[in-house]
Amino acid sequence: MKLKKILALTLAAAMTLSLTACGGSADTSTETPAKEEDGGAKTDDAAPADDSQTAAPAAGDLTYASVTLGESYTDITTTIKFIHHKTDREEDGTIPGLIAKFNEMYPNITVETEGITDYAEDSLLRLSTGDWGDIMFIPAIGAEEFSTYYVPFGTVEEMSQFVNFADNKKFGDTCYGIGYMGNAQGLIYNKKVFADAGITTLPKTPDEFIAALQAIKDNTDAIPLYTNYAAGWTMGGQWDAYLGAITTGDSEWLNQKFVHTAEPFKDNGDGTGAYSLYKILYDAVAQGLIEEDYTTTDWEGCKGMINNGQIGCMVLGSWAIAQMKSAGDNPDDIGYMPFPISVNGEQYATAGPDYAYAINVNSSDENKAAAMVFVKWMVEESGWCDLEGGYPISKTAPTSFVFDGVNIVENATALAGEETLMNEMNRESELSFNEGGDAKVQRIVEAAATGSQTYDEIMAEWTQKWNDAQTACGIEVLY
Amino acid sequence: MAAMTGAVSPNNKSFSQWLRGRKGQQVMIMTLFMAIPLILLFTFTYLPFAEMIGFSFYDMKYVGARKFVGWKNYASVFSRQDCFGALKLSLYYMAGSIVQLVLSLYLATVLSFKVKGGNIFKGFMFFPYLINGIAIGFIFKFFYTRGFVFDTVLQWCGFQLDNLPYWLKDQSINNFSLVGTSVWRYFGQNMVLFIGAIMSVDAELYEAADLDGANKFQQFMYIILPSIKTIVTLNVILSITGSLSAFEPPYVITSGANGTGTYFVVMNEIAHTQQKVGLASAMAVVLLIIIFAATILQKLFFKYVFKSADDEDLNAAAKREKKLEKYRARKAGR
Repeated sequence: MKLKKILALTLAAAMTLSLTACGGSADTSTETPAKEEDGGAKTDDAAPADDSQTAAPAAGDLTYASVTLGESYTDITTTIKFIHHKTDREEDGTIPGLIAKFNEMYPNITVETEGITDYAEDSLLRLSTGDWGDIMFIPAIGAEEFSTYYVPFGTVEEMSQFVNFADNKKFGDTCYGIGYMGNAQGLIYNKKVFADAGITTLPKTPDEFIAALQAIKDNTDAIPLYTNYAAGWTMGGQWDAYLGAITTGDSEWLNQKFVHTAEPFKDNGDGTGAYSLYKILYDAVAQGLIEEDYTTTDWEGCKGMINNGQIGCMVLGSWAIAQMKSAGDNPDDIGYMPFPISVNGEQYATAGPDYAYAINVNSSDENKAAAMVFVKWMVEESGWCDLEGGYPISKTAPTSFVFDGVNIVENATALAGEETLMNEMNRESELSFNEGGDAKVQRIVEAAATGSQTYDEIMAEWTQKWNDAQTACGIEVLY
Repeated sequence: MAAMTGAVSPNNKSFSQWLRGRKGQQVMIMTLFMAIPLILLFTFTYLPFAEMIGFSFYDMKYVGARKFVGWKNYASVFSRQDCFGALKLSLYYMAGSIVQLVLSLYLATVLSFKVKGGNIFKGFMFFPYLINGIAIGFIFKFFYTRGFVFDTVLQWCGFQLDNLPYWLKDQSINNFSLVGTSVWRYFGQNMVLFIGAIMSVDAELYEAADLDGANKFQQFMYIILPSIKTIVTLNVILSITGSLSAFEPPYVITSGANGTGTYFVVMNEIAHTQQKVGLASAMAVVLLIIIFAATILQKLFFKYVFKSADDEDLNAAAKREKKLEKYRARKAGR
């Protein structure tokens, strides 16, 4: 009898455990859509009330170009919902502020927003349930699925008249997404420090750049170049980002030619190529143009320091501009300049859109129209992109992002069938370009500071590793 | 089960009868209770470990196809400079652990006698052990930053900032700086273990030693140390194997850069950044073998060292007994 009891108890315990496990996961997966339904229901309730007054726009006519802000659809009364990843901007009141401004022009369109912390994951789940509202930022889905979920904004050609990167979220010839801001690769610098140092024109070549850093050291108290060595990701993650079109002027170099190049790190002698890119870092360190103790740099601290003029410049993507601006009292001193490498006298910058707005194809016609109006207003009138320090999306909106005379390019993607080569080479050579290879860039700083290796020795070592990896992976050398 | 039944029930009892009996119930309950921890142990320790040994023979990433390469990964562990070069750094941590043990043994001895505010001191010195290792990393990053805490304190003591080294930048001392954090963190814990062991020493022995005119140092050498040798051995073994696998201080404070990458940090880099899972697994297996070897060597060493101590100990114990008897007799006679 006892035994039976024990057995029964054990079984019962095991079953309860497995039950609770199931219950737990089921709960979490249903929670999100359940919440969502409330919002959706509200939207539907509000819409029909005013149906009689509004001539519902035909869905086919609705394009980005057909909307004239302040004139089109002013009679729509509805509630639209926008889900996004900028929880920080939700909390600091930026997004509510923008919506309040939008409502001055369109008082009858109520915009509900929801900031999602784990956007990349959650938005995919929400997308598949269909209960996400009317506007979202496109998560990682294939281009062939765009038409299933989103309203087209117009043809790529038509959209290119209004916005940059219109072809980034396209399928066929149709544009389904508009970036909320663009990201460009350059250098973040403090305008006041540069002016105090007597630098009137921004440096365009590595030599000019080192000279500028020297001028900052000689004429100001600021740290010319802050490496952010200790953080790690600020070394490989940032410096590697300039490989490709910026250093070679060739948009095919990074993803197509690099793996097939016999000597990618050779000195071209004209201040271009990967050699010149990392040499800037080596020279700056060797000539004492960086912070005194690079091993104790502090990422959070550097934001305030560049804002206060204690730092001349830092090698960071344009996404960092907003953070640097908001870290102190001198947001106007923060500037962004093209990377100081010129190929045949031309400077290049790579750029692309951040998350892109898209409109729910299953929303009601009023909501689609209202959403289109809102997206157009956000892109052209809100000034959000500029507030974030982003590369401009709208071709007409005012921007403080000045990249005069710089060729904006996108690095071409890898050739079909060769998509995995870069990853294999990175792994085999252990250099890990653009894949977390922070240690190799940190070693450049160490070698330059201690004099343990010359720059050419480091490059020879890299070339050796690269060639060994090409042999190991069986990759043909073409260039 | 059939065999068991046959063995345990010679009187032709059926299996179910046996199971219902006292003996059967005992066996049943023991098996059931042991099954749970054993299954857990197997699933979460031995099975993953066996898997890892399997991985070490493949060229593989976390995802994607794997290729069997035999002993190639092990060959590269021994031929690569960065793998075994990193083990040299363990010498710093071993040196640190000796300092740590001596310091904690000294403080434990002092604190186990009557000291004013002894408990407060114990608390303060044990406190670092309670802080999360990552937090300690951040604390010491700022502690060693130029012109911050450590430099300021040294300046109070009359040092000039210009004469002070860069604690984390200077490659000749940055490993000592990191070892310092590890000593700071763990010596309190060692100390508490030692105090616990010292507490169990019979207080009458001290009294007897006092009467014989032994000073505190002699008491330590001949009473305390022999009595706590087991715990000393344990702490030494734990510290040495711990030094071989030092990870947190270099990983958090310097991210293993600037010549501070210990074996574990290198392994982590190879496994996660370079995605050479097979090679990293081989490194783990090699380290395990090294740790085994180190532990066995230490065991043998202590057996040898304390063997002579044991012999002495027997005599000493006999002498002590005699003394105690005398002492008691004197007390009783009074």
